[in-house]
Amino acid sequence: MSGKRIGVFVCHCGNNIAGTVDVAQVASVMAAEDGVVCTSDHAYMCSDPGQNAVIAAIKENALDGVVVSCCSPNLHERTFRENAKAAGLNAFDCEIANIREQCAWVHRDPGEATEKAIRISRVAVRRLGRSRPLEPIDTGVTRRVLVVGAGIAGIQASLDLAAAGLDVLLVERQATIGGRMMGLSETFPTLDCSQCVLSPRMVEVARHPRITLMVSSEVEKVSGYVGNFQVKIRRQAAFVDPDLCKLCDDCAQVCPVVVPNEYELGLSARRAIFMPYPQAIPATYTLDESSCLGLNPVVCGKCRDVCEAGAITYDRKPETVVEQVGAVVVATGFDLYGQEQLGEYGLGAIEDVLDGLQYERLCSASGPTKGKILRPSDHRAPKDVVFIQCVGSRDPARHCAWCSKICCMYTAKHAKLFKHQVPDGRAYVFYIDIRSGGKGYEEFVQGVMEEDEVMYLRGRVSRVYQDGDKVRVFGTDTLSGQNVEIEADLVVLALAMQPSAGTAAIAKTLKISRDKDGFLAEAHPKLRPVESVTAGVFLAGTAQGPKDIPETVAQASAAAAKAIGLLSQPRLSHAPTVAQVRSRLCTGCRMCVDTCPYDAIRLVQGKAVVTDVLCEGCGSCVASCLRAAIQVKNSSPLQMKEMIEAVLRV
Amino acid sequence: MIDPEELRTRARDLLEGGQVRAVIGYRRGSRGWAAEPVVITRPEEAQDLVWDPSCVHNLALYLVQDRRRRGALRESTDRPIGILAKGCDARAIVVLMQENYVQRDEVYIIGLSCESSGMLDERKLAGAAEGIDPQALEAVDFEGDAFVLSSQHQQWRLPAAGVMAERCLECRNPCPKVHDTLLGKEPREQERRGTASAPTMSDPFAELQRFEQTADSAAARWDFWSRQFDRCIRCFACRSVCPMCYCEECMVDSISFTVTPDTTAQEKANRLRWIERSASRSDNIGYHLTRALHLAGRCIDCGECERVCPVRIPLRLLNTKMERESRERFGYEPGASVEVAALLASFRDDDPNDFIR
Repeated sequence: MSGKRIGVFVCHCGNNIAGTVDVAQVASVMAAEDGVVCTSDHAYMCSDPGQNAVIAAIKENALDGVVVSCCSPNLHERTFRENAKAAGLNAFDCEIANIREQCAWVHRDPGEATEKAIRISRVAVRRLGRSRPLEPIDTGVTRRVLVVGAGIAGIQASLDLAAAGLDVLLVERQATIGGRMMGLSETFPTLDCSQCVLSPRMVEVARHPRITLMVSSEVEKVSGYVGNFQVKIRRQAAFVDPDLCKLCDDCAQVCPVVVPNEYELGLSARRAIFMPYPQAIPATYTLDESSCLGLNPVVCGKCRDVCEAGAITYDRKPETVVEQVGAVVVATGFDLYGQEQLGEYGLGAIEDVLDGLQYERLCSASGPTKGKILRPSDHRAPKDVVFIQCVGSRDPARHCAWCSKICCMYTAKHAKLFKHQVPDGRAYVFYIDIRSGGKGYEEFVQGVMEEDEVMYLRGRVSRVYQDGDKVRVFGTDTLSGQNVEIEADLVVLALAMQPSAGTAAIAKTLKISRDKDGFLAEAHPKLRPVESVTAGVFLAGTAQGPKDIPETVAQASAAAAKAIGLLSQPRLSHAPTVAQVRSRLCTGCRMCVDTCPYDAIRLVQGKAVVTDVLCEGCGSCVASCLRAAIQVKNSSPLQMKEMIEAVLRV
Repeated sequence: MIDPEELRTRARDLLEGGQVRAVIGYRRGSRGWAAEPVVITRPEEAQDLVWDPSCVHNLALYLVQDRRRRGALRESTDRPIGILAKGCDARAIVVLMQENYVQRDEVYIIGLSCESSGMLDERKLAGAAEGIDPQALEAVDFEGDAFVLSSQHQQWRLPAAGVMAERCLECRNPCPKVHDTLLGKEPREQERRGTASAPTMSDPFAELQRFEQTADSAAARWDFWSRQFDRCIRCFACRSVCPMCYCEECMVDSISFTVTPDTTAQEKANRLRWIERSASRSDNIGYHLTRALHLAGRCIDCGECERVCPVRIPLRLLNTKMERESRERFGYEPGASVEVAALLASFRDDDPNDFIR
């Protein structure tokens, strides 16, 4: 036996544990364990008296270690390790036995649950018996933040970070910042112009001395650890020099190529050299390599010839830069749920069936129709418009299970904007129910129903098809119990929000997890809503889940605040429970090197060597090593064996 | 069929020219007809080399021992070691290279193609034909699809398929893919399979399939393996003969923990006993299953473990089962290529995980 003097403290957690587990019995059985010199139980171990009892017991009984049988170590391991330190022990002289999440909450039978709680506690005692004191690994901090995605979330986070005196590297995949919000018209519930409120922020980003902006760029690789990440960013070739470009539009005038404009969601066309929006930041023309005739003066070269400023150069190459940052804010936004899955609504097949974002462009003063709502097929103002909510959302059997949260509001806004332009028009909204939680939201929807006289039909649409120059919509009004058939001029679908196309890739690059729906997963749904599971990586905006603009901005500021808090520490500490190589046994097979998800292991003279600050102690290397030559500190094979024996009562 | 004289010439040339510092091969053993592994270092020793159906041993094992020896003596060398390699031996060498245990330029592989034949199974021979006394045999030789056995006064010609080792019948690759020089030809599929009436080859995993048909439930298999492992005397012959079992410290050795000058007092006190010294069913199972798992994606089915087992535990069944899993689930072929990452060190997003329950 280890010879340590161990105390066991069992928590009732009110009724959470004591309701199923006989806490007093756990304490009395543990008292008889080898090495255990004192036990006690307490209603709330994490309360101030509870914690004081632990500290007092350590001092009174000259304990070498404490086991606290309570909730998950995620919650209170730190609390009790601090107590151990306060009483003069090492933090790793404290071990948590999780008898709540792993026992009391998942079992009904008190007898069996108590037996299991005893075994879990015994395991912790045995593990602690072989634990060694460890000190945190101290590392420096790079006071610079990478923000991925320059939509409203990324912009807000960057501005907040820069305002706190941190340097910011803002990386955007597209040629301009602004993201989805830039494409919106008016915003609910106040109907203020989206571009008008956003563009000042965009200008601020462009002018801020602490913000470095990289557009047409993507994060390729991230290595390192919290406080010291190395990021590799690939920037596409910039054929137009933003400093020289005078925005004269001469180049676009002569460009012979016409392709659908992705910034107008295909509703208008653009040239191969173009400006995404008049307010685009950086304010410059963009040469789209994929549609250009070939960046070859022999083939075309018209734009270069016409440019008086000499801003256009064809021989540019993509470049890769490596930057050092201390933290990362991910704000990669959303896409609409793919149209290919929604054949029954005719999206993509019928010209006058639009998605919500396309309709926003129709309403927008800077849009393809200069703000006039005209249907794409014949450019006439529609008289009968059908809005369909929950397209793809809330349909676990076929599409997305989640509620996209903003559709009720923006559909009401869409209907309102239509009625403002076409007062004698008829707007119909098919809905399941109306979710208008938010300041001024319910009043807004009521106004749309009552003042704007929009017809709200509670039910779903079964079929949409082209009938002459009309779009015929079949649906049900479940309130009156009647089938409805509408000859519409225009149909607008409120498509579900889904994580943007690159989310899976960026999650992999940053080693952060995604939830079952593909959105970025927060570390804790309630208490750590803007942190990812990877230390130093924070989440903002719709990449984390559907949300509206105010929520997005709030989360972006919260993420910035978290990053500021992290980077304002003079030094950071890294958990010392890292992998350790038993060099004598290592045969240099490289399996751990290949397996390590953190690139923390390398071979030096044929033997594996761990870089402590990179190691997260995940144990993948331990599992892959056939020769048991690598182990995680305080999770040694001997400890594992004794823990197995303890749980099996060998 | 390869002419042994050609092999001897090749080995002699390599040694004379100084291209290799030694050649690992086979010579006539002390037991009549059976070959034994040998390491030759002088050109004149090349005449001792033999190539016949008794060259069963997986010589990759001696590469492992060569590295061990050089490591212990801190001996560095600029010249590779030559090694004769059948298809299976070459696959084993590939796994050793994949695991960085030997480097490609440290080995000179003299590939030997078994062509459409294979190695003799001594146990099958014992019951194969009337009147043959294996003890009295002096030589065995390849002859087309037959083996020719000779004693002092007599000769027998037996169809090879009847007395060939099971793993040779199931051989995935009788001709080494990775080699520096090759003797013999890559057999055409037709040649290997023989005719429908007289097949010379079984399907890969045929024996495993036969086993799974007889023991078709978990209970039946447990029963079977319990009986098998009850008989294990833990002589560790299977481990000693396996070129993949090269760990410096084996989990079963923890009972006799090696002590070196580096061993600390704490390490001595904390030594692990995963299994106990005496042979019991549960600890035997612990040993064999751990070994099988450690060989997953590494075992190339040379069948040596089964051949050397004194109590005839059908260990190939365990290892071919792992091999089939790795092929079917992960499309991974052990010993096929030095470049691909080892099965247990590679992860793909689309790896099947339906076995996690």
